[in-house]
Amino acid sequence: MMKEATTFPSDRTPAVEAAAAGQESSRFAIEVAGLARSFGETTVLDGVDLRLESGGVFGLLGPNGAGKTTTVRILTGVLRADRASCLRVLGHDLPDEIASVRPHIGVQTDTALYDRLTGLDNLTFFGRLYGMSSADATRAAHALLDRFGLGDRQAHRVGTYSKGMKQKALIARALIADPELVFLDEPTAGLDPEAAHELMMYIHDLSIEQGRTFFITSHRLEEMESICTKVGVLSRGRIAAQGAPAEVARMLVPDVRIRITVAPPTVLDQSAVLALEGVRTVTPVESGAMVELTTRQAVPAVVRAIAAMPGDLLGIAEEPPTLEEAYLRLVHTQERVHTQEGAAVGGAR
Amino acid sequence: MKGGTIWTIAAKDLRESTATGQVLAPVAIVPFVFVVLYPVGLLLALRSMSPADAHDLVSKIPTSAFPGTGELTVQGQAAYISTVYLFAGFFLIIPTMVAVVLAANSFAGEKERHTLEGVLYTPVTDTALVVGKIVGAALPAVVISWVCFGVYTTLVNILGNPLVGHWYFPTLNWWVLMVLLVPAVSVFVTACVVWVSARVSSYQSANSIAGFAVLPLILLVVGQATGVMLLGPGFFAVLGLVLVVVDVVMMRWIITTFDRERVVASFL
Repeated sequence: MMKEATTFPSDRTPAVEAAAAGQESSRFAIEVAGLARSFGETTVLDGVDLRLESGGVFGLLGPNGAGKTTTVRILTGVLRADRASCLRVLGHDLPDEIASVRPHIGVQTDTALYDRLTGLDNLTFFGRLYGMSSADATRAAHALLDRFGLGDRQAHRVGTYSKGMKQKALIARALIADPELVFLDEPTAGLDPEAAHELMMYIHDLSIEQGRTFFITSHRLEEMESICTKVGVLSRGRIAAQGAPAEVARMLVPDVRIRITVAPPTVLDQSAVLALEGVRTVTPVESGAMVELTTRQAVPAVVRAIAAMPGDLLGIAEEPPTLEEAYLRLVHTQERVHTQEGAAVGGAR
Repeated sequence: MKGGTIWTIAAKDLRESTATGQVLAPVAIVPFVFVVLYPVGLLLALRSMSPADAHDLVSKIPTSAFPGTGELTVQGQAAYISTVYLFAGFFLIIPTMVAVVLAANSFAGEKERHTLEGVLYTPVTDTALVVGKIVGAALPAVVISWVCFGVYTTLVNILGNPLVGHWYFPTLNWWVLMVLLVPAVSVFVTACVVWVSARVSSYQSANSIAGFAVLPLILLVVGQATGVMLLGPGFFAVLGLVLVVVDVVMMRWIITTFDRERVVASFL
């Protein structure tokens, strides 16, 4: 994160004002407001609002067809927005200033490498397109291919690579010019769990140690939860929720869930717990039960009641919702609303 | 920087094109037929033909219309007219064919293989991308034509000189053809195919549209090449310069109307 400049009002010359404004602007890698885009009759984005600070890992989540790739394509300047009250990347307004943005971004989408060229040639070619000298591009390509475990295959044609190897080479290609902002569209697709974990750790390191900003779309919610500093859930053309993964999960799953540990676990009378006011569900677990409450206010009374029940109460801990749970709940809720709306429209006809 | 980027794109296309037989085969076979088989077959046939048969052949041609043939034998006239005038059109077909194949492969082929989108995200300018693609297809078309010209010149002088009686090839018309018209036609055809390729989604479509729209136009020019040559190298050169101007205007127009969104949208 960049530090704010300390200036006094009386000291502010136009140059200082401009510098301060620039610094304020550069705090944000991406600023989007009211972004909309349709393809024919289909509205894909319908008022996306997003503000992403520099130096973090942002995860854009959403079901297939939600508009994640369209968002990436608009932010990288290969598609235009139908409308947006603000569309700014690395402090530059799009689409007018896209030429100032491109040298500083790296992009991996569902594209392909040149199968007839070697891995090294592919990366060197892209380095050269970013204005790197041949020597620098080759050096960077060697380092990245080694980093992604492709060093011994760098002289082989990409057409001979496995799907996972191609995916790694595509990500390496996005990083070839040392970009400030990296867009990765489903980066772990095609990777085995170990390689996916390794990639996520690498992204995390690059973000923490080098202050690079990552904008990632993915379906692998567990991975996203582990490395993202911020996530946004794209649903029905809008960002339904955004914030730190835990915040988003709490936002989308407002219920309180507590884990009750009792000894011996079998003594817990689950029907009695379920009968308590404010309890929605009781799910037996190995050490006792998982109790879901309708409100946070119900917690003290429920805990007192359980403490008074037979058996030794060994522990009570709040179990925060996972990002995956939150995401699935949002998607299912929206699907249900969509179905009901469809039925209502059908009934009205 | 821009010149470097243009060459980077062109060099990459060249390496890709030369790595596949699908592209190399037509590029090798057609020139071989036009530059080796036809002229060698004709010149050998003329050498073994009786003067009476040669006279029958030449009698159908208005030889007086062809400068430089008045003093020659009938075999000499047939050899001179065919190698200097009639086969000239082949040297416009060769760069046309090579440029169509390479340009369709490099631009529409890249769209089809989903490799072009990656390039569109980079800082490469529309000008560098379009010019790089045109250079990547037009340059080999010109180089292959020049190599063919070298082979043709050698064969004509070995097999044709004994019939004509002196060293006669290449004439000034041919120098204008190779130095001015072949590069101009190569760029024109490549630019046409790149323009078409930006609007279709597959290599086959680009090839087909180029085949229907560009080739007939070129064949029309080829059909008139012999006649135009008769008007002399000066007129031929003016025609070449006009085509160069058309190339420049066309390239500027393609760059101005090039739209990354249209390219990306074609494979959404």
